[in-house]
Amino acid sequence: MIWHIIKRELFDHINSLRFILTVVILSALMITNAVVHLRTHPRRVRTYSENVTNAISELKSRTALYTLARRGPGNLYKRPSSLSFIADGGDAYLPKNISNGESWSTSGQGGEVKSNWWLNYGTVNPDATDLRPYATKIDWVFIITYLLSFIPLIFTFDALSGEREQGTLRLCLANPISRPILLIGKFLGTLITVLIPFVFAVLLNLALISVDSWTQLSTADWGRLGVILLIAASYTSIFIGLGLMVSAGTREPRVSLVVLLLIWVATVIFMPSTLGTLSTKWMPPVQTMDQFRDARKAALKQITDDYGARMRAVKEKKNPNLPSLSELQKLYETSPEAAMAEAEKLRGVWETEGDEELALKAELIKGDIEIRERLNRERLDAQVAQVQRARTVTRLSPAAIVQYALESMAGTGFNRHLQYLEHLHQHTKQFRQFIVETDRADIQSLHLIGIPKGMSQKPVASEAIPKFEDKITFSNTFNTATVDLLLLVLLLGIFISGALLVFVRSEV
Amino acid sequence: MLRTLIRQELLSHLMSARFFAAVVITLLLIVANAVVLLEDYERRLMKYSQQENAHREKAQEAKTYSMLKLFVERPPNPLSLFSAGLDKRLGTTFEIYYGSVPMISDASARSLDNAFLNLFSKIDLVLIFQVVLSLMALLFAYDAIAGDWESGTLRMVISHPVRRGSILFAKYIAAMVCLLIPVLMSLLMVLILLSATSSIQLHGEDFVRIGGIVLTTSIYLSVFYLIGLLISATTRRTATSLMLCMFLWVVLVLVYPNWSRFTLTPIGNTRAVSASAYQQAEQIWKEVDREERVFLANSPLEGEPPKFNLDVSSSNSFSSGRHFIKRYGINMKLLGKNSEPLVPHVQKYHATMGALYIRAAEQSALVRKQTLDSTSLREAIRHERLMKLSPASLYTFATAAWAGTDLEGMFDFVQAVQSYRRTVIDYFHDKDAFGSRQWFASDKGAVDWWDLPQFRFKQTDVWENVTRALPGLLLLLLINLALFTVTFLFFIKIEV
Repeated sequence: MIWHIIKRELFDHINSLRFILTVVILSALMITNAVVHLRTHPRRVRTYSENVTNAISELKSRTALYTLARRGPGNLYKRPSSLSFIADGGDAYLPKNISNGESWSTSGQGGEVKSNWWLNYGTVNPDATDLRPYATKIDWVFIITYLLSFIPLIFTFDALSGEREQGTLRLCLANPISRPILLIGKFLGTLITVLIPFVFAVLLNLALISVDSWTQLSTADWGRLGVILLIAASYTSIFIGLGLMVSAGTREPRVSLVVLLLIWVATVIFMPSTLGTLSTKWMPPVQTMDQFRDARKAALKQITDDYGARMRAVKEKKNPNLPSLSELQKLYETSPEAAMAEAEKLRGVWETEGDEELALKAELIKGDIEIRERLNRERLDAQVAQVQRARTVTRLSPAAIVQYALESMAGTGFNRHLQYLEHLHQHTKQFRQFIVETDRADIQSLHLIGIPKGMSQKPVASEAIPKFEDKITFSNTFNTATVDLLLLVLLLGIFISGALLVFVRSEV
Repeated sequence: MLRTLIRQELLSHLMSARFFAAVVITLLLIVANAVVLLEDYERRLMKYSQQENAHREKAQEAKTYSMLKLFVERPPNPLSLFSAGLDKRLGTTFEIYYGSVPMISDASARSLDNAFLNLFSKIDLVLIFQVVLSLMALLFAYDAIAGDWESGTLRMVISHPVRRGSILFAKYIAAMVCLLIPVLMSLLMVLILLSATSSIQLHGEDFVRIGGIVLTTSIYLSVFYLIGLLISATTRRTATSLMLCMFLWVVLVLVYPNWSRFTLTPIGNTRAVSASAYQQAEQIWKEVDREERVFLANSPLEGEPPKFNLDVSSSNSFSSGRHFIKRYGINMKLLGKNSEPLVPHVQKYHATMGALYIRAAEQSALVRKQTLDSTSLREAIRHERLMKLSPASLYTFATAAWAGTDLEGMFDFVQAVQSYRRTVIDYFHDKDAFGSRQWFASDKGAVDWWDLPQFRFKQTDVWENVTRALPGLLLLLLINLALFTVTFLFFIKIEV
């Protein structure tokens, strides 16, 4: 019997105008998506591979261990996902590479000290100078979140209220069919009707994209595509459930349409952005760049002052009666020549380096890196916490849930960026360890990392230097997507049982 | 007769569930978003004043003229609540430096604390009207004629001595009144909310701007109502008319504005344009270098500028040469006695360099402006034009023009910044700063900045907004007129 209902629903819908319009609009959007992807993706992949090759060859050219310690691992690039046409994930707003911080050097008492590298999380803000009007990318996320929620409502608003108005519902229920069976039949019928044009458009899209040699989809990618389609199907089902629920509860199809469209507008279009803006209200504040720089300056001043005092103590222990700068100044006013001679002597004292001085310098450099990286990391973590908070709040809207789930599955978006950062931290740790171990292997070295005289002078084999290669691993992505998937299933259950409940209790 | 018709239509709309739903949802969305947006505006305002204070402190810190680091901050526009436009997106901080003319592309977002939050889409009140009420307009219209035709009431009405034109007109007036009720009610709510907060103070001109936004909204809604009416008159079946209306709405409001960007082929050869601009700017600064060398050859000064081989025991300085712009600053805290005879030469050097830098800045500004016009600005304008094929985007741009958050509003600010730079240069000239000792040394007293001119930005007067919004407004009116005429022609010939 249920097959009968499904079949009838299907035939009814497929012959309708809305079905044709659905096919047209979904295909047009999917073709746009594919064409844009074909136009932009090759450049993205090419730039990435060029950048990585350059970074690696530059790294290989550094054979001195000190240069490696001072310059660091170079630019570390994020690998673009081959499924970026599915979810753009705000690609433009996430940094594509992370590099070492700028360097500093000081000279003065104790001679010259040059900084070593530290991890600097740059930010990108293309909006700051982008004069173009705002436009969302037409990716699968756009098509699914907006259209696969709108179309089900268009198909279901009159499913029960329309039949009730015409009286066919009464007729139908006069047969020995239980109401749940009728509802499930209608549900499945509509689901299949919506999925036919969607799958057709998806196939069109994939056929176009597979023409391109730059996008090679692996078997794992096809598996992910399968999950993505499942997500799309369950999202559509949620809205079919909603449509049936409202349709069962109202007498007139006109009323149910208005109610459904307004719910749709509020949840799908407005809720994500309203909640995103709203959530900033409860966010722990993050320092602006200027404030951050001031705070960092203050933190660094402590260790440099400490270094200066200790260095002076060391120098004074070796050379008692060392004149201070202000004394020199005074002397200069009475007899410039004598002052100059004293200054020359002082410079000589500053530039002779014993083991103690070297150790102090190494300590300064280590402390500098530690403070900078800790502060950078704290700032990054605070920013990430803000974004996570905003994402949690926006999850009240099913559109946002689906967006996050799709991004995770496509290997783009914020979760992917976090994954990249994790790889990065692993790599930098490994890199530092490599330098320490290589240095330790040389018995002639003083094992003072970060200063030229304190480190091994032996050339480093370029093959041994650890290279960074960003990988997209899916066990991890799947974990991050599970919350969203569970939420989707939960919503699906709520709406379908809601529709059942309303329909069973409604008068025919 | 017309009055009766209008009254009947009006009553049937006002009693309907859709009208009730439209009012409730619009009010709900507007109030919820207005609260959120007000909060957001206050935060931006607070950050603005923080930044401004920081800039002021930084300027006061400079001990010599050359060490001055002067920044100005763009204040948030209170009307960005209605139409965000570019106001929240573009960078807000500009540097004022005599050796470079600030351009819109120099804006930096230094006040931004978390760039990741750009991942979340922005919202404004106009968007709610644009999306919700255009949908409602279509829902009011889809069965206006087709429904009457199906149920037979149309035949009944026409059997009376009424002109068909007045039937159509009555329907139009009644629906527009019903659509404007939620607009005006929500506007009232927003104004009540605004008057309850102290952070936003609207002036007389701002009310005119808000009035302009309401006017544009009503013309925009009328476009959608007439589209629905036309579809209703041509299809004569409610089911068909409804589906066409819904899908057309999705295309016009949701899809097309986003879709249009990707049909644009990128302007060819932007890279070549920037490369040639780069070369020209390089040439300009090379010329400066050459003249510097000529000057130094005829001068007794020796060593690297700007320190030379002066006898300086303590100084701080900075120098950079990024993005075609050369700059340096120096503060010599103590000058040795031996160097004293050289000081007039150093002063002359800095005076010459100041003049050269200003000249180079003006020259390269021309080049940079040309590049901007032929690359990113051109692309933005092309995109805007293409988007305007949809009335929804036409509406967005027109309201942004009213609010002053559009591209031209941003250029107004850049112009104010540029003229402030000129004021600062004039101030320098008045003080004879370039050729003074205090340009590079603070040993005889630091610069007192008490009379440094302050930056003020005043929004353009309302007439400017009117002229900017007018083209879009007229276009919307024209669409209205065309739609009404076509609908009328169809309706006259319709067989009942």
